[in-house]
Formats: sequence, C-alpha cells, structure tokens
Amino acid sequence: MNIQKLLEKAEEFLNGDERRRKEKRKYLKQVIKKLKKHEKKLVLQLNDETDDVAREQIEKEIALAHAHRKKGLKVLKTLKKEKKSSDEEKD
Amino acid sequence: MIKKIILPTIFAVLTYGFWISPDFKEIAAGVAIFLFGMLSLEEGFKAFTGGVLERLLRKTTDKLWKSLSFGIVSTTLMQSSSLVSVITISFLSAGLIPLTAGIGIVFGANLGTTTGAWLVAGLGLKVKISAYAMPMLVFGVILIFQKTKGLKGIGYILSGLGFLFLGIHHMKEGFEAFKETIDLTAYAVEGYPGVFLFALIGLAATVVMQSSHATLVLIITALAARQITYENALALAIGANIGTTITAIIGSLGSNVEGRRLAGAHLIFNLVTAIVAIAMIFQLTHLVDVVSAWFGIGSEDYTLKLAVFHTIFNLLGVLLMLPFINVMVRFLQGIIKPRRRVEGQPRHLHTATFELPDTAIEAVRLETLHLYDNASAIIAGGLSLNLTEILGERPLSEVVAKSRKPLDFNIDENYDGSVKGLYGEIVQFISRAQASLSPAQSDELFLLRAAGRDIVEAIKDTKHLQKNLSHYLGSANQEIRKEYDQIRASLALVLRQLDEVRKQGGDSAAVLSLDSLKIAMKEYDRDLDYRLNTLIRENLISAPMSISLMNDSGYAYHVTKNLVQMGEALFSTGDKSLREAERSISLDSGEVDEMLEQSKNSQPKSPR
Repeated sequence: MNIQKLLEKAEEFLNGDERRRKEKRKYLKQVIKKLKKHEKKLVLQLNDETDDVAREQIEKEIALAHAHRKKGLKVLKTLKKEKKSSDEEKD
Repeated sequence: MIKKIILPTIFAVLTYGFWISPDFKEIAAGVAIFLFGMLSLEEGFKAFTGGVLERLLRKTTDKLWKSLSFGIVSTTLMQSSSLVSVITISFLSAGLIPLTAGIGIVFGANLGTTTGAWLVAGLGLKVKISAYAMPMLVFGVILIFQKTKGLKGIGYILSGLGFLFLGIHHMKEGFEAFKETIDLTAYAVEGYPGVFLFALIGLAATVVMQSSHATLVLIITALAARQITYENALALAIGANIGTTITAIIGSLGSNVEGRRLAGAHLIFNLVTAIVAIAMIFQLTHLVDVVSAWFGIGSEDYTLKLAVFHTIFNLLGVLLMLPFINVMVRFLQGIIKPRRRVEGQPRHLHTATFELPDTAIEAVRLETLHLYDNASAIIAGGLSLNLTEILGERPLSEVVAKSRKPLDFNIDENYDGSVKGLYGEIVQFISRAQASLSPAQSDELFLLRAAGRDIVEAIKDTKHLQKNLSHYLGSANQEIRKEYDQIRASLALVLRQLDEVRKQGGDSAAVLSLDSLKIAMKEYDRDLDYRLNTLIRENLISAPMSISLMNDSGYAYHVTKNLVQMGEALFSTGDKSLREAERSISLDSGEVDEMLEQSKNSQPKSPR
C-alpha cells in the first residue's frame, strides 16, 4: 500500500460521516442482495404454482420485493452522490 | 452504621500511614494509579462493546468450551475479570445467554486473570515499564479528546495501560525504598496460622480495592522487594481470589435471578478452589517447584513462581468444578428461586443492563415483544377469537366461521392487568437508560418506545371496534355479519403474518414483507367503499349499519398500521445499521398507494 492510499484510509477512519455512510452503503447492499434472492425464489415458486389464488398472492409478493429493491437502489445512488460531492468539496 | 464507619476509618489509617512513611505514600499512590488505570481500561473497552464483544458473546452460548475460551481470551485481552463479569451479568439479566454459558465464562475469566500475574512478574518487574507509560499517557489523552467513539476508546485503553504501568512502577519503587527503613518479613507467620491470616488479609485488601488484579500486583511487587515471604504471598493470592467474588456479588444486586445465580456460582467456585488450595498448600508448593524447574524458572525467582502457583491454583479449580457444572446449575436453581411470574411484570428490564447501552436496548426490545405477546391475546379476545387458533395451521376463514359467538372479553380489565403497568415500566426504564446513551442509541430507544405506543394504540382501537363487532356478530342480517367477519379475518391475518415474520428471526426480506399488510388493508378499505355503495343501494344493510362499518374499518386500518410499524421496529434482530437500512427502504404511505394502483394490472418482473 503506498503512502497516498494509506493517508486516504487514515482520513476515512478519522472522518465519522464518511464511515457512517460507508457502513450504511454496506448494509443497504446486503439487504438488496437478500431481496434479490427472495425475489428469485418467489419467481421459481410462481413457475411451479398452478392455483390461481396462490399465483396472485405470489405475484403481489414479487411486486413488493421488487419495489423494495428499487427503493434500495435509489437510496444507494443518493448515498454515492453524497460521497462524490463530499469528495469534490475536499478537492 | 458499619458503612458509615468504614470509609472514615480507611481515610484515617491512610492519612496516618502517609504521615509516618513517605514510602507507604508512594505504594498507596501506585495502587491508586493502577486502579485508575483499570477504570480507564474498562471505559475504553466499553466503547467497543457495541458490536464485536456482544456478537462474540452471543456465539459462545452453544458449547461450554466456547464459553470457557471466551472468558479466558477476553479477560486476558482486557486484563479485567470484573468487566467480563459485568458484561456476562448484563447479558444474563436480559435473557440473552443461559446460566451454563455464563458460568463457563466466569470460570474462563478466572483462568484469564492469571495472565496478569505473568505479565507483571515476567515483564513488569524485569523491564522499566514506566518508560513505556509516558508516551502511552500522552497519546492516550490526545485520543480521548477526539470526537470519534472508536478513537476515544483507543485513547482510554492507551492511557489505562499507561496508568497501569505507572502504578506498578510506583508500587515497585515504594517497596524498594520501604525495605531500607522497615523489614515487613519480620511479621511473617509460618505454617497454617500464616496461611489463614494472610488469606484473610488478601481477601480484605481485594474487598477494599475491588480488584484482585491490583492485590496481586501489590503482592508481586512486595514479593520482589522481599517484603513478604513466598509462603505468605501464596496465601495472599488465595485470599485475593475469594475477595474478587465481592465485586461480582455487588454487580448482581441490580440484576435478576439469573445474575444472582451467576454470582452464586462465582462464589462457590472461588470458595471451593480456595479450600482445596489451603488444604493442599504444601503439595501445591511442591508442584509449583516441579513445574517451575521444568519451565526453567530459577528456584529463587519467587515472583514467577507465584505466577505459576496462581495459574495452577485456578486451573485446579476449573478442572475440579467443570464436571459438576450442571449439578451446580441445578443447585443454584434450587436455592435461588425466581418470584412467581406475573404476565404484567417485566422479564428483561434490570438495572444491570445499564452498564452496556446496547444490551439495555436489546432488553427493551425483548420486553416490548413481551408487551406485544400480552397485547396480541387482548386484540384476539376483542375480536372474539382465540389467539392460539389464529396462530395455528387452519385457514383463517374457518377459524373466524367457527367463532360465531361473541366472547365476554373485558379489554379494559386485561389492559390494566397485563399491558398498562408493563408499558409504564418500559417507558420508565428507557428514560433512565437514556442518560448514558449516544444520539444513535437514543434514536433506537425512541423507535422502541414508539413501538410500545403502537401496541397500546392498537389495543385502544380494538376496544372501539369490539362494541359494534360483538353486536353485529349475532345479527340476523347476513350481509353485515359477513362484513364484520371480514374485518376479523383481516386482523387475524395481521396477527398470523406478524407471528410468521417473527419466527423467521429478523430476516430482512421477511421484515420488509410486512408492508404487504399495509397494502392489503388499503385495498380492503378501497373495496369496502364500492361494496358499501352496493349494500346501501340494494337495501341489504341499514344506514346506521353502514356508518358503523365505515368507522370500524377505519379502526381496523389503524390497528393494522400500528401493528406493522411495531413489527418493523421489533422483529429485526440484526445489526443496528442493518435495521436502519431496512427502515430506509420500507414503503411509506404514498408508495403503498402507488403499489396499490399498479397491483391491478402490473405483471411480475424477474430480477435483474
């Protein structure tokens, strides 16, 4: 690791706001990943289901998981933008 | 009365000692600095208890050897068995670990303390450690002034170590100088009278200093300066081990029955070990000589031999008591009995958890879940349904159809008996706990308090709903009966789904799926509007019936909303940041409306 990177790491550690943002991004990615897995599982379940009422229920669950994932990606984008603008301010 | 006398007596004795001997002053100052270092070290480690330590502790509950290892490693690293005991008692009080695991940790902690003797005897006396103390103090204090919690914690740990080293240095210097004026070995007592007398002195010193570690350092430095004999030092170490249980007993006073049982286990362990060690003191001394020779420790190196004795003596205790751990648990459960469990009384709120903010938060979460358990039985009763049946396997339409007769269920009476008092206790506990919390932790408690309020609101709305529901349940009008059955089925579904999500142990996807209840309730509300028009137009229900139905569907909507909010706050068991992430993507009211609009025509999309 060169000096520049080491300094960047040290600055990141000392900067509480950035650390919190990074942690939020990390956990948000975790939740999005879980939702994606859940959504895939539901799609497979839907393919095997023949009962109309049950199919409708699964479709609703898929739509909900998708909406959550979409919102998650939106929040993630906002956090990335915040980081970018804070980096620009420093420069 | 005794309490009032003790402190002035100690002050008087110390003042007299300072007046007649400057060397005694240096030794006492060394002990004071050492103890301050330990406090600082504990403060520093507490800054890190919000995550790693708790996660580790949670994972040490399944196997005894894991609990034992956790006790050894954490005490070795933190050099404080009392902090490990306090954390264990907090976890036990909150019901996060079982008693067997707690006892395992305490046994391990006893073994872990022996590393302290090795460090002081092996390093502290051979190297000029005061030279390391100065930079540690300087860097430590600079870090304490930093805003970040982690840096502050490192600062406290560094200055704690600095003070420990400085304390040892002063004790060492004090005893060296003391040697010039007075020879304390002249007061040495040989044989068993000496063993008993010095064990008692070690016990008293530890009770006063509240730290066996400090007593042990004092013994080692005194032994190094040849101010006490080796035999008497061994007895002092045995006494110090018994004295340390006093700290655990004091710590357990604010805890529940499990915490008191743990303190009991600690006392039994140290007493039995001490009795065995005193009875076999001469055989143990011989064993120490053999082991020391085997490790290449000189026969005159008494400080290191004391460390060997301390290790053997504690190891012996662990080996002796480990096979009887289950017998000990049964014995303690037999003699320390809990008060009769009353539904409306708290199970997890104990002042012992105040020591660790994150444990206090977890205790509040568990207690609010207890509040929900009591409340869900009331809500079910208010709907003239049985909670066990709601949470069972049968289709809810069947459960509702089977319970036609309105139950004579008094919501007010049940609320007063099992919810009101408990909710009050939670609110009071939160107010008291908040004093030592960071803003993020306060936010977490605020959310939990709001979850408690949601539960109470849900009961109140159920009470409003109950009046008409009971009335129309036996109505001759089939249509109105059907509508009220639908309300009952919807709310029963809310209770069932909440239970299912809770059982999934805080899986993010499951917690977020609670939003589907919000959508379903809005959908029901919207459909009811259409149905009401038809029912009134075709004269199937009367105007007063339609007004009751509209009001009651509003109450049902609020019950759902409050319970879902509660579920989102309480059922997520992951890390604080994970919970925050889940909350940030849960759907708000506008997004629920949007979903409802889309639900009619949209097709499921496959994940990218």
